[in-house]
Amino acid sequence: MDDQGCPRCKTTKYRNPSLKLMVNVCGHTLCESCVDMLFVRGSGNCVQCDTPLRKSNFRVQLFEDPTVDKEVEIRKKVLKIYNKRDFDFSSLREYNDYLEQVEEIVYNLTNNIEVERTKQIMEAYQRENRDVIQKNKAKLTREQEELEELLLLEQQDNEQRRLETLQEEQRQLQAKRKNKQALLDELERSHVPATILLAQHKDRATQLENQIEKQKQVVKTTIFSTGIPMGQTVLLQPVARIAEVLYSYKPIEINTYGPPVPELEQLGRLGYLNHVRAAQPQDMAGGYTSGLACHRAIQDAFSGLFPPLG
Amino acid sequence: MKLNIEGLLVYFPYDYIYPEQYSYMLELKRTLDAKGHGVLEMPSGTGKTISLLSLIVAYQRAYPLEVTKLIYCSRTVPEIEKVVEELRKLMEYYSKEAGEKNNFLALALSSRKNLCVHPEIVHANIIVYSYHYLLDPKIADLVSKELAKKSVVVFDEAHNIDNVCIDSMSVNITRRTLDRSQANVETLQSTILKIKETDAAKLKEEYRRLVEGLKEANVARETDIYMSNPVLPDEVLQEAVPGSIRTAEHFVGFMKRFLEYLKARLRIHHVVQESAPQFLKDISEKVCIDRKPLRFCAERLRSLLRTLEIADIADFSAITLISNFATLVSTYSKGFTIIIEPFEDRTPTIANPVLHFSCMDPSIAIKPVFERFQSVIITSGTLSPLDIYPRILDFHPVTTASFTMTLARTCLCPLVVGRGNDQVAMTSKFETREDFAVIRNYGNLLLEMSAIVPDGIVAFFTSYIYMENIVASWYEQGILENVQRNKLIFIETPDAAETSMALEKYQEACENGRGAILLSVARGKVSEGIDFVHHFGRAVIMFGVPYVYTQSRILKARLEYLRDQFQIRENDFLTFDAMRHAAQCVGRAIRGKTDYGLMIFADKRYARADKRGKLPRWIQEHLTDGSLNLTIDETVQLSKHFLRQMAQPFKQDQLGLSLLTLEQLQSEEMLQKIAQIAHQV
Repeated sequence: MDDQGCPRCKTTKYRNPSLKLMVNVCGHTLCESCVDMLFVRGSGNCVQCDTPLRKSNFRVQLFEDPTVDKEVEIRKKVLKIYNKRDFDFSSLREYNDYLEQVEEIVYNLTNNIEVERTKQIMEAYQRENRDVIQKNKAKLTREQEELEELLLLEQQDNEQRRLETLQEEQRQLQAKRKNKQALLDELERSHVPATILLAQHKDRATQLENQIEKQKQVVKTTIFSTGIPMGQTVLLQPVARIAEVLYSYKPIEINTYGPPVPELEQLGRLGYLNHVRAAQPQDMAGGYTSGLACHRAIQDAFSGLFPPLG
Repeated sequence: MKLNIEGLLVYFPYDYIYPEQYSYMLELKRTLDAKGHGVLEMPSGTGKTISLLSLIVAYQRAYPLEVTKLIYCSRTVPEIEKVVEELRKLMEYYSKEAGEKNNFLALALSSRKNLCVHPEIVHANIIVYSYHYLLDPKIADLVSKELAKKSVVVFDEAHNIDNVCIDSMSVNITRRTLDRSQANVETLQSTILKIKETDAAKLKEEYRRLVEGLKEANVARETDIYMSNPVLPDEVLQEAVPGSIRTAEHFVGFMKRFLEYLKARLRIHHVVQESAPQFLKDISEKVCIDRKPLRFCAERLRSLLRTLEIADIADFSAITLISNFATLVSTYSKGFTIIIEPFEDRTPTIANPVLHFSCMDPSIAIKPVFERFQSVIITSGTLSPLDIYPRILDFHPVTTASFTMTLARTCLCPLVVGRGNDQVAMTSKFETREDFAVIRNYGNLLLEMSAIVPDGIVAFFTSYIYMENIVASWYEQGILENVQRNKLIFIETPDAAETSMALEKYQEACENGRGAILLSVARGKVSEGIDFVHHFGRAVIMFGVPYVYTQSRILKARLEYLRDQFQIRENDFLTFDAMRHAAQCVGRAIRGKTDYGLMIFADKRYARADKRGKLPRWIQEHLTDGSLNLTIDETVQLSKHFLRQMAQPFKQDQLGLSLLTLEQLQSEEMLQKIAQIAHQV
């Protein structure tokens, strides 16, 4: 790009690398100083193709090929008008046909083919679909904002995660250092023989290692169990109501194919509790009664007595 | 011999078998029974290939409906040839023993002239080819499309498989590529204009097809997306090409815009790193190119080249690369990063802008293989630590096992030399690389070794630059002169022809007289492919720990990704990578049970537990506490003792210990011992 020269003053581009090339609607380039010179004289025609120009239409050239610059400008203008999206169409085929239409328009305008007719087509389209265009414009800006938010959130998340891992590592190093220091202090001060102190220290060190290992295994969850990622913005549309049959509780019936199991309340009266250890006050504080264990044992015994018939 | 492995009749074409081969086949059979994936580490030179082949062929014969095909993937053509040799032997044994004519068909695909075998692949039982035909999405489409689900895939020498996966999905674009692509696009444009005048019907036909959403038989089902994206629903894959790139002119204009955008991106003066979605957003803002047309770029280009009947596709490699890049960047949102560097780190004054589109997640390329095929076996001699591979490749193996060698006499002697005779620590750490004392100590080590080790010594350095620095210092210190009095010195260079000449002469020198020393680099061609059997490699010296260049931005991005996704610490991964290369290098010296060799790790960091623990089990076994952190004198003493022992004639009393006949194999105690060989992880 730097070896392109301004078509008018040719030498100036090589001599002054900071000079910028500008492009206008006809697709020809001019360096900045030549642009100023052109409009000082009052005349506003392109040097190469003699089309009338306005100073405000000159933009800094981004691409090496000025026709690409021209095309991108035209495309942006066209897309402002033809901004329908894929959900506006009933079938993929229609959407693709629409896209092809847009391409045709851009192509014609860029290569100066049937410019007038194309412009008329564009105006007609704009008039017909004015409200659709407005709606889509609003939707686009909203989507872009949402996207920006998401990206920002992601960046913040990354930063946070990085800081956290750094802090974690710092903490681990410090813990190790403290442990070593504690060992030295103990060896100095305490009267317990050195071998026992060393064993204790080794124990503590392995405990620390295990802790670190466990922490490494803890995976930061990023999604809820239902699959919704955390931090996702909530849709405010109402959730569709799904009518289902309500659950009603039916107690289970156990068939022992033999004598019925006595009820929990009857056990004391029937004398079963005499064969069971009485509950201590500590047990009863937690809600345990000897009847519970007894009932359980009786249920087990009864259910194994007779095989089911048939 | 005919073996019975848990009820399966296996024909093994030799009369003797190593216990670890039996153990390996046992684990393999269990993996196949479970219809799952496996990671198996078995030391090199212990007959891994024949064990694999005989067991899987036997399984195929016994259960022809369960396992229809065996796909054996290897790295280099010599390895493929070796496999074919073993297979031939096995087939001869079968026809001799079973008496029946075997109707097995095995195919090996190695070079371009052996590729066009599509109809035969459908009938083949065993296919042998290189990794890339299965992993690289661009090639996999052409070659591996028809492979059935009920196949067993074996990746041999797979310790570098994550790098292969990453390379197959990464693209580097330089200014030159863009200029060539520009020329390609202009050629396309002129060809289109010409065809419009002479035979416009072809273009119209293509246009009609694209409108209808029909796809050509071969361009159909863009399998590079399908194989890489089994998660995409079928409707998305069957979608028609978007309307904005239907006609040839529009597509050419589209490519022009894309190229211009890339050129503008390369014109920066500082490093830029961004993710794929950010890149797409920028593209759509600057040149109004959306994601969907980008995704269909590669397919559309192929269709266009076909319609224009371009004879020489190779001329269009630049534009094909760009279209592949477009497809990749628009398909994947996670696991890739884009780094644009205005110049290389080491030459900051030369403007050389490069766009690196690098894959950070090896599991993306290999996921379709794991999901599509029933059993995938990853095997190599150096896969430690075994639990890292399932994590970075994101799969769940049913077996992970590491095997050791049963030896009649201990034929390897690994030693860690940490200090010189002046007690200065020897290390290739970055801060101490210029230290005069360290370099002198390394030279001393080499000198002493050259005096006591017979025949050939292979020495590995961590990088070419490091090697050149050290050798230059040695020359100044006069060490090289002293070494040359004992042995000749050969050196590996980045140039392939020079290296093969050096290798040839080294081998000649080892055959006659006092032998030679080969100085090479840990990630070079020598360490990856060449075996130093018997007298060609009696000692291997690893100078330093072969870490990759840790300042590379691509590597940093990859480490960050691994930390975020897989909770693998950066240090752990770098150490794992360095140790697997070190193990690969020292494993070059031992290629069989009668072979012996010294393995010298010349860096004090090898004595640390975290590095020692990452060596394969069959090396760690022989690394005792008494061989850690030695000085050069102590090393020389131990080496002399070892070499003298090894030089005694080997009385071939391996029988019963490390070599078994069928009867010995079936004894109870032997089976118990075998069960202990495999170490489950």
